[in-house]
Amino acid sequence: MSAVAAKPQAGGAMNPTAMAVGVVLLIIILGACYYVSPNLGLTALIGVIVGGVLIGFGTHFVPVGGAPAAMGQAPGIATGVAMLAAGAGLAGLFGGAWAAPLGTTVATITGGIGGGLMMAITCMMVNFVYVYGMGIPAASGKVLHDPITGDSQAEFKSQGTEGHGLPFVSFVGGVIGGILAGAGGTLIYLALLDLYKATFPTLMSATHAQVLPVAVSVAGMFAVAMFLVNAVLTAYNITGTIEGPHDPKFKRWPRAIVASAVASALCGFVAILIVAI
Amino acid sequence: MSVKIEVIAGGVPHDKIMIAGLVSTLVCIYLTYLNAFTNTQMFSFFGGLAVVAALIWGSHTIKVLCSYGIGTGVPSAGMIAFGSGTIAMLLATKYGMLAPIVALVLAAVIGLILGYVSNNILNMKIPAMIQALTEMAVVGALTVMGFAAMITGGFTFTGLTTSTATFLGFPITSYANSFLGGGLIAVAFLLGAIAIQHPFNACLGPGWKQDRMLMLTAECGFLSMIVAAVMSFAFISAGAALISLIVAIIGWLYTYGQFFAMSKRDAAAWLDSKPIPDTEGH
Amino acid sequence: MENIVFGIGITALTGALATVAGSAEDTESNIGSQGDPNSQVQLAPQMGFLHRIFNKAVAGEPPAYGLWCALGAGLAWAFMAMQVNAILAIVLGCILAVFVQGVYATTAYLGRTASLAKFGQPVYVDIIKSMTTVTMAHAFIAIFCTVALCQLINGALGHPFPLPLLALIWGIALGAAGSATGNPYYGKERQYQNQKFGAGVPISASGNIVRYAEAGERNSIDNGFFTHKIGGSASGICFGLIVFLEIWRTILFERIYAGWGAIAVGVLMILVFTVIDRYIEVWARKNYGPYTAAKEADA
Repeated sequence: MSAVAAKPQAGGAMNPTAMAVGVVLLIIILGACYYVSPNLGLTALIGVIVGGVLIGFGTHFVPVGGAPAAMGQAPGIATGVAMLAAGAGLAGLFGGAWAAPLGTTVATITGGIGGGLMMAITCMMVNFVYVYGMGIPAASGKVLHDPITGDSQAEFKSQGTEGHGLPFVSFVGGVIGGILAGAGGTLIYLALLDLYKATFPTLMSATHAQVLPVAVSVAGMFAVAMFLVNAVLTAYNITGTIEGPHDPKFKRWPRAIVASAVASALCGFVAILIVAI
Repeated sequence: MSVKIEVIAGGVPHDKIMIAGLVSTLVCIYLTYLNAFTNTQMFSFFGGLAVVAALIWGSHTIKVLCSYGIGTGVPSAGMIAFGSGTIAMLLATKYGMLAPIVALVLAAVIGLILGYVSNNILNMKIPAMIQALTEMAVVGALTVMGFAAMITGGFTFTGLTTSTATFLGFPITSYANSFLGGGLIAVAFLLGAIAIQHPFNACLGPGWKQDRMLMLTAECGFLSMIVAAVMSFAFISAGAALISLIVAIIGWLYTYGQFFAMSKRDAAAWLDSKPIPDTEGH
Repeated sequence: MENIVFGIGITALTGALATVAGSAEDTESNIGSQGDPNSQVQLAPQMGFLHRIFNKAVAGEPPAYGLWCALGAGLAWAFMAMQVNAILAIVLGCILAVFVQGVYATTAYLGRTASLAKFGQPVYVDIIKSMTTVTMAHAFIAIFCTVALCQLINGALGHPFPLPLLALIWGIALGAAGSATGNPYYGKERQYQNQKFGAGVPISASGNIVRYAEAGERNSIDNGFFTHKIGGSASGICFGLIVFLEIWRTILFERIYAGWGAIAVGVLMILVFTVIDRYIEVWARKNYGPYTAAKEADA
């Protein structure tokens, strides 16, 4: 369980055939959804797919160092990719769900800001502990100069490590990741909530007010479930650790976009089938 | 939490565990239908036994998958299993008698596609990936279904979205106080997601032993069953919930004791208040 | 107006509860060596450094706390559905959730340690007896505070999500905030007290954790005592700020311009934290100085 063992092994190359199969699958699912529920269902599915893609893309920005970061051996936040993104995204979902009556746009942005705020506070506290608790300045291991501030990094890297703390570009990456993940989670929730609010009363032969708690709860649970599926898939894509948008692994994002789109379309379609048939 | 994991062979082959797990889970889930036939709730505890059987199968699948070193933590595998399984399970609840079979097929399809996505689109190139994600989605779906059956006495969509309470002598139907409306599915989700990954996460290392890990899975299953039984007091009759609770406590005590015995068997030494042993060179 | 005052009071209370929860969570996970620093406790015996540190790898902190909090909330919800008083229901639910946490802690320690038999790491029964109870006590504080704040958000502030789902969300966020902030302080500063201060642990030193205390052998309660002073408090502030600011901006500013007010305040706060972070980074660069000369490092 050393820092060496945590290094990624999986290839960064794209697999064009598989990508094409993915896109075809996506179109088939969209077509099937149009067939069973042309209006409400398709709108919800598109919302879910966009939300899932936002989560998959956003997770790439979150600087995660895993176990080596906890020893100051590698830059980033010392926890797992999927779970940090989930923490930020779900905090965003909390705010977004609260703002749901204010309309989709406002609620989605509120959710995004909630996730970004969570990441901003967390990243700031990480640097606070590194600097004032442990006396270690931030340094990136992947680039010589911070792409945003232009600060040189290499000479602040202590001996025998790959860097430590959160350089400014990682901080910004974390906030962007939180915003995208929070907005994505909220969008999935809102898409499913609108669908369920419209269809549950007939399905369960009850009034709007009666089914509202069930619709909220089911949409919320599905948003959490799809969030975790997308975040874990992205974690598989970046295999463990990433420093932020300047990391070479960040270039793998197109794969994750296709993967998230297919996975969310699939899960979303099943969630829509509950009320469509 | 990335750990270098050695592939360890030996013990009961995975296919055998898979088939045994699948059959016993389905049988146990179908046995909860005795509730409907006899018009009682006394057989809800079979849902909990289905959870235990499914988890034993699922934790071994996780072992097969994570032996390859997937680059991220073991817990994430449990999350993706239940994330995909829960959605399949809820759709399946609409199919009455066929629900467990529909959940099985639907989860398998979702898992298969997710496996293809991670193996080919994300280029992970892990031989066991597709089969493992398929199995885990099925385990996730059947586990949540087992919890639902145990807590509410059944798993029809109507049963999960409504609950009947008596208020001043009149029965009233409540939607907010149901398994889904109250959000208890979130608890079932995480109970399963932690119980499925914990045994391998806790037992990994060079001294990994199959029987010890599977005993730990059974222990986690029964432990989850205890708390699920406590929650079921809110939905089913006190007698039925008590049966679940007693079955769960007996099963938990037995498996917990067995796990202690097996750990004692495998440990280098079993010491109480002793210093660190002297080793050469340190 | 009364509504807003009431809302602010509840907000302050949730912020306070969250601060306590974050602090207790980090101390609990450090005593149990949960989360990423666990890798070193696991690695040490393989490098020949046998130790008496509690090694409970239940799961990463976010999923583990997701479960403990959701479970506490689910049980509390069930007790409330059985007409039990809310406070009693939360306490009972948290007690049962802590029981589950304690059992998971013991099996995690036994399982990991028994699998290390090849390297001669013994199982210490006294560790199970003394450390598990201490982690359970801290876990109870963390779970109780989180479930209580979820109940306040749900009951008093009217968030639409049911209690268990809210607890799942805030449990995962609690674990994420606590592990992000607290882990480095335990992993670097405490486990590797023998390494140079003000520098990361060289990769070559991995596994050589400190195993001896001022007197006798180090145990995990010492670790909790040490890390609570900065790591625990910082985690508490982190989670407290997250919960407090998130709710505060909603309660106070949501009605301004149909929600855009809360968004604007959120953006402003993100900018404020960005400035603070940049200040900390520059301050460190100026005061701690480079480890090597700039030219040498570039080459």
